[in-house]
Amino acid sequence: MDNRTSLVDLAIRYGFLVLMAALIVFFGIMAEGFLTPFSAVFILQSVAITGILALGVTATLVVGGFDLSIGAVATSALMLSSYVMVVWEMSALSAVLICLAMGAFVGLINGLLVVKMRVPDLLATLGMMFLLVGAQRIPTEGRSISTGMSLPDGSVANGKFSEAFLALGRHRIDFIAPNLVPLSVIFLIAIAIGVWVFLETTRHGRLMYAIGSNQQAASLAGANVNRYKIVAYMISGVLASVGGILLAARLGRGDVASGNNLLLDSVAAALIGFAVLGASKPNAFGTAIGALFVGILLQGLTMMNAPYYTQDFVKGAVLVIALVFTFALSGRGGRARG
Amino acid sequence: MISRRLFTGLIGSVAMMPGLAFGADMPAPFDNPGAVKIALVRYLSTGDFFQAYLSGVEKQAAAIGVDLRVLDSRQDAALQSDMVDQAIALGVDGIIIQHGLTESMKDAAQRAVDAGIKVVAFDVNVDNAAIPQVEQSDRDLARLALEQALKDNGTSFTAGYVYVPGIAPLDRRDETWQKVKADNPGINQVAEFGTLDNPIANSVANQARSALSANPDITVMFAPYDEFAKGVKIAVDEAEMSGKVSIYSADVSTSDIAAMREDGSAWKATAATNPAVVGEVSVRTLAMLLAGEDPGHNVIVPPTLITQQMLNDLDITNMEDLSAKVPAFAHADVSVPGWMPLPQR
Repeated sequence: MDNRTSLVDLAIRYGFLVLMAALIVFFGIMAEGFLTPFSAVFILQSVAITGILALGVTATLVVGGFDLSIGAVATSALMLSSYVMVVWEMSALSAVLICLAMGAFVGLINGLLVVKMRVPDLLATLGMMFLLVGAQRIPTEGRSISTGMSLPDGSVANGKFSEAFLALGRHRIDFIAPNLVPLSVIFLIAIAIGVWVFLETTRHGRLMYAIGSNQQAASLAGANVNRYKIVAYMISGVLASVGGILLAARLGRGDVASGNNLLLDSVAAALIGFAVLGASKPNAFGTAIGALFVGILLQGLTMMNAPYYTQDFVKGAVLVIALVFTFALSGRGGRARG
Repeated sequence: MISRRLFTGLIGSVAMMPGLAFGADMPAPFDNPGAVKIALVRYLSTGDFFQAYLSGVEKQAAAIGVDLRVLDSRQDAALQSDMVDQAIALGVDGIIIQHGLTESMKDAAQRAVDAGIKVVAFDVNVDNAAIPQVEQSDRDLARLALEQALKDNGTSFTAGYVYVPGIAPLDRRDETWQKVKADNPGINQVAEFGTLDNPIANSVANQARSALSANPDITVMFAPYDEFAKGVKIAVDEAEMSGKVSIYSADVSTSDIAAMREDGSAWKATAATNPAVVGEVSVRTLAMLLAGEDPGHNVIVPPTLITQQMLNDLDITNMEDLSAKVPAFAHADVSVPGWMPLPQR
């Protein structure tokens, strides 16, 4: 009996990491060139943006909320940074600062809607998502932004994406091999560590977990529930705008996009993260692993020429398995223990 | 009391001054500016292509002096069909159906024809002998780009291909690619990938990176949609392979022009039909029907080949430049009877 329990415990704790290791071995054998530093960096780069967004989602999940607007915030930041540089002809620094401020402001509004107006989180952020998808297109009448585009008033936009801005998405630093690791990967790792430290080791982070598991108890214990919730949405908004800035730097133009895929991929990463190490709760480390897991799968499948629908299928299957790990296996254990 | 028709006429004649000047020379019903009402019923509207298409429709409608209503179903097939009925109820004289699904639009189009309304369809097959089909020739687009690829790279090369099946224009472009491969056995396609996940260029870049690292011997990438090509270019740049790989694509936009003209850009050529011209042709075809003339059942707008060298030689920086300096791109001599006023350029 004891043996069986510990086996299940082991499966819950390490099952997902073992699955990931098996996957790496499988692709290493099946796809030539998969086990190289370059390939590893490609994977990290391909998940950098969704990973950063997923860490934002994690922050809202921790306080028992949910942010559906992150994809739209990211594409709004993409359009806004392009607009600031190409149309207003301002510097890279101002583009970044304006976007971060926009992300924080959207997060603040989301938080106020949820906390003060008592709008359920899914509905408030859904509304914000539609609002942003529309708003980002108004200044250009739905067109993408690039140097040389004509504006609605007939003039031509002459601003450029500054080199410093493009470097955010394109510059690579020497690590093992020269010009290997892109800055976006550094941002992902730094943000992941930052969010992890904040949530796991600071008093604020623990209070946020407490609010997520029992809001009333946390409130009675003296936590300022409303303020923490607003902060969580602001973190989410700011991280989403960081993702959008990196996207703009990689694309080099303001692409009209809804960001729905960004939203879905990052939510998937955060939910997969529940299963990592049997945490059964939103956590930064799991989220990063979840994003990496999806990235490894997609990279390996693409190297093996798998068409896009099999990739969607596999992504879905991984999510379902992860949720089973979280809710069925560890849920049962949790109740038994409780 | 001012009647509604007179009122629209007045508004129309003020708004459509060029139409007024031509009015006298045009056949009925266009001799009375503003008296003709047409509707554009759209299925797709988001993105540069569809914005440009709309601007072409608006300009040509203004040049002829017709009153244009735009009904946008935003990818809702059922709503688009309802909108045709709405246009019938509005009492329009002509309808342009822009994209959509054959299954949902076929009956709606027939109802409009039964109501005595002239109908033109763009890029959607409504399966109706009375309705001319305006098309940009996707097969020609792919053919032009691939001919350039064969010219630049010879008939033997290792190729990567970006494709998402089930999208009508991409399927038609794929037919040409399959045929070119069959005719040139020296072409060795080692990788095929593609996705329409938003933002498309970013998702395709991730895939192309994987494909390039798995197959570093690829020298030609055929990406027959500009968002695909943009993604492949990002991947090629990141892999520092732009000296080695050449990209051939279809469609064009201002940002594509900038990407093609970057120093050492791998994006060598694209074939494109000007969406604004397609919009103009759609309106002219409808106008011919309304005037009782026969535009033919298949109205095909021919594409133009745009090479990196041509952009550099003519110093073209945006779509306006392209129209100004490459006349074939600015105007298609399709559906242009003698009386037809053209938009001012």
